[in-house]
Amino acid sequence: MKILFVCSGGMSSAIVVNALKKEAAKEGLALEVKAVGTQEFAQEVKNGWDLAMVAPQVRHIFDTFLAQATEASVPCELIPPQAYNPLGGPTLLKVVKQGVQQ
Amino acid sequence: MEKLIAFLEKNFSTPMAKLSEQKHLRAIRDGVVSALPFIIFGSIFLIIAFPPVPKDSMIAHWAASHISEILIPYRLTMFIMTLYITFGIGYNLSQSYKLDPLSGGLLSVAAFLFSIGVQTFNTAFFLPMANLGGHGLFVGMIVSIFAVEVLRLCKHSNFTIKLPDSVPPSVFRSFESLIPVAIVLIIMTIVTVVFGVNLHSLVDRAVAPLVKAGDTLPGVLIPVFLITFFWSFGIHGVSVVGAVARPVWEVYLGNNSSAVASGQAIPHIAPETFFQWFVWIGGSGATLGLVIAMFLVGRSSYSKTMARTTVVPSLFNINEPVIFGMPIVLNPVLIIPFIVTPLIGASLAYGATALGFVTATYVQVPWTLPAPIGAYLATGGDWRAIILVLINIAISIVVYLPFFRIYDKKLLLQEQTTDVSDHNTLAL
Repeated sequence: MKILFVCSGGMSSAIVVNALKKEAAKEGLALEVKAVGTQEFAQEVKNGWDLAMVAPQVRHIFDTFLAQATEASVPCELIPPQAYNPLGGPTLLKVVKQGVQQ
Repeated sequence: MEKLIAFLEKNFSTPMAKLSEQKHLRAIRDGVVSALPFIIFGSIFLIIAFPPVPKDSMIAHWAASHISEILIPYRLTMFIMTLYITFGIGYNLSQSYKLDPLSGGLLSVAAFLFSIGVQTFNTAFFLPMANLGGHGLFVGMIVSIFAVEVLRLCKHSNFTIKLPDSVPPSVFRSFESLIPVAIVLIIMTIVTVVFGVNLHSLVDRAVAPLVKAGDTLPGVLIPVFLITFFWSFGIHGVSVVGAVARPVWEVYLGNNSSAVASGQAIPHIAPETFFQWFVWIGGSGATLGLVIAMFLVGRSSYSKTMARTTVVPSLFNINEPVIFGMPIVLNPVLIIPFIVTPLIGASLAYGATALGFVTATYVQVPWTLPAPIGAYLATGGDWRAIILVLINIAISIVVYLPFFRIYDKKLLLQEQTTDVSDHNTLAL
């Protein structure tokens, strides 16, 4: 599975990405995850991702991301605030699984 | 309290955050941000030119005697930052309109160059470089928006030169933008050459009140408050407030650095670097103090785990893990110190800078440096800046501590009464 994360600068989501990877590894799930900033998203989303995840602090730009992701036929989900921290791995993995299924 | 938060979120934070994503505001912000690597690179040479060493040392002598050469990399980057920013604004705005971004960026630069006022000396021609700098940023913003809007208008009204489909796209593109280029540049020529209007002094006068207001204590405290206000709802405050404030902050930084480069007194207190290094220690809300308080008095196992996992990112000013982890977002207990601490820190730093206890910031370094180092470099190597940062960290610990204690007690109680292994859901 290839998951693309977007936050303001691509830094904070990198931390969350680690939590997600750890949780996925527990279940033996192979994940390829990348974190980008808002400006890189439009380009990056075209590169064959299975799911785009939007960080809660940039949710006011969600509509724009959704449009860009839809154009590239990538499903786009908002990360729940409770899952956006180093301990949020389990919740996050649940959201990712749901997002990919849809 | 919860009703108030819901009301504020629905009627203030969300609509305002959406507004900050308005196309022009976003293009300006992204344009400024795209020039940051050049600004950071150039400003490092200010430190080399004015090294933080005793004046009679060898290094200081060497720097003093080679100052104009040392400053050349600065002169060609940070000193003329608006040239780069203008391209960035034009590029980003065209992109959001789905126009060819390269044409938009180039046309913006051309329109901006037309505003500079070429000077002749004997038979040679000169561009006054100061007008290409932070000083000219507002002119750069206006003309690049003008340029891209003309481009858009021409495209939408099909007022372009049409070529058959067999023509390669790159050739097609350059012809397509020929008419808008001509319109923009003829208008610029008429304004600046035929009528001899000096756009820079005109715009300077128009924005003077704004530039003055942003550098006062209220001008500093209002953005500080708004940034933590937005974060309290989990919205990236700097990105929202920066959409409006960033140009002004960048003008201050440009003016401060060019004053230092030419040996004059530093004019402004509050460029963005002021907020970054003296106020946002550990990230927006000065949360490094909270993380330290968590280490000092945290008793619940959730707080202890949080403290361990968030301390390293916090040292590098990344605090989303704290904001969404504790959480501070929509948490009435922690929102209070989250908003109050930076207001105190900003007031103290403002006073210290205004009274000359600490050099005003004029160097831009990457925001992920630990605050004492960043503050030292941003002030061109003033050790007193480190003291100010340490005092502000101490204050933030003191302000956060009692509120954290209340919250920690609640967490502890929950942990004792419920047997849940997943601490994450517990805290929420």
